[in-house]
Amino acid sequence: MDFKSDGFMYCLGAVVVLFVIAQSVFFLVRAWRRGKALGISAESLKKTVTSSALFTVAPAFAILATVLTLSGALGIVLPWIRLTVIGAINYEVPAAEAAIEAFGGAGGMSQEVTDPTVFATVAWVMTLGSILPLILVPFMLKKIQKGMSKAAAKNGKWADVMSAAAFIGLISAFIGRAIAGKGDAQIIGDGAGVMSLAALLSSMLFMFILQKIADKFHLKWLQSFAMPFSMILAMLVVMVLAQVLPQNIAVFEWRG
Amino acid sequence: MNMKNRTYENSVHFYGIIWDVAALLLFIMLPISICVHLGVWPQGSYVLKGLLPVAMLFYPSAIIEVITYTPLLGAGGTYLSFVTGNITNLKLPCGLNAMENAGVRANSEQGEVISTIAIATSSIVTTVIIAVGVVVFSPVLPYLTDENSVFAPAFQQVVPALFGALGISYFVKHWKIAVVPVTAIVLILLFQGTLATGVLIPIGVVISMLAAHLMFKKGWLDK
Repeated sequence: MDFKSDGFMYCLGAVVVLFVIAQSVFFLVRAWRRGKALGISAESLKKTVTSSALFTVAPAFAILATVLTLSGALGIVLPWIRLTVIGAINYEVPAAEAAIEAFGGAGGMSQEVTDPTVFATVAWVMTLGSILPLILVPFMLKKIQKGMSKAAAKNGKWADVMSAAAFIGLISAFIGRAIAGKGDAQIIGDGAGVMSLAALLSSMLFMFILQKIADKFHLKWLQSFAMPFSMILAMLVVMVLAQVLPQNIAVFEWRG
Repeated sequence: MNMKNRTYENSVHFYGIIWDVAALLLFIMLPISICVHLGVWPQGSYVLKGLLPVAMLFYPSAIIEVITYTPLLGAGGTYLSFVTGNITNLKLPCGLNAMENAGVRANSEQGEVISTIAIATSSIVTTVIIAVGVVVFSPVLPYLTDENSVFAPAFQQVVPALFGALGISYFVKHWKIAVVPVTAIVLILLFQGTLATGVLIPIGVVISMLAAHLMFKKGWLDK
């Protein structure tokens, strides 16, 4: 049996999964109770749960795909653990690469790790490189929130504008990348191109139409599902385009 | 009411910190148990050599992340999100979407509750999907995500699909605020196309807030 995915590793994975679920259920239950005490209707709370669950399905499958991508080099369990906690592809890949390269392995992640010492080093680097937020949050969170609520209390309208502006700033980073971001010339699907723009524009269009329909006919349920529906529909558009368009147009990425 | 508010908020921080420290210990235990199990202890110098380039890039961005995301995630959402990760591509949009649907403001207590419920749900669903996927579907999934499968192009475009849908509802409502940061980011990328989203996010947030602040002062945002 491969040491990277033996029973012991699966046990570690199970412990992490149980921890994450326990923490989430703990906060979920407390927020639910608080929501009821604040007079938020049970229906509204339930809808938050269902629409968030639906919303999560597509990105979760994307994360699962990432786990599988990394499993070639690291076995399936370590990427599974890493992407269940803190991990995100843009961090895990450079971390694993740097750790493997520390041993002089030039191929990095393109080759399977067979040396237990290299594997253990990868695990250490992935862990140590990513835990800083957990150290910072207890110290900083309260202070940041106090500052925010003070500013909000002082000038409600301004605080609303600024909080919308912060969201929009974040969103524009991703939209900008879909329009003009450069990827790795060797990799298909990572740079801005026909596919990223098709996904971006079609999901915008679907969302716009679905929201208009929901508003016009007062379909409250549709409002919560507009977002996941738009995403899935946009991904379907991408799948269909990839089949229908000539290959050289479909994979064209203007920035590489 | 005010007293009760404070109690809930304080309890979120109290339990949040306990869970945070527990998570920290658990995560450190992982490489330790792997070392014990495999009977190998890599030299510190190798770990440092691997860690250094990563830390140089990710420690500053971790600080920026904590500062940028905590006001948007709320307290409960923050304690959950920084344990389970995938914040920008999942937890944050999920929380924003839920608050938008429920019609509550991010920095109100209703917002805090809704965002916590959304992020907790999202964490549970993600964890279950990944775990089930790993255990049950691992023999089949390589075909799904294989470069040549029909699903592969869709998986590669999850992020634009997500932010397109999320973006449009904000843009329709606040198009004046949106013009500046979107234009700025696209312009920056035309010159420096490889900049990662981790770098672009703080730039976008600062530009957007500055522009919005100026527009607000000039009265351009009054309807």
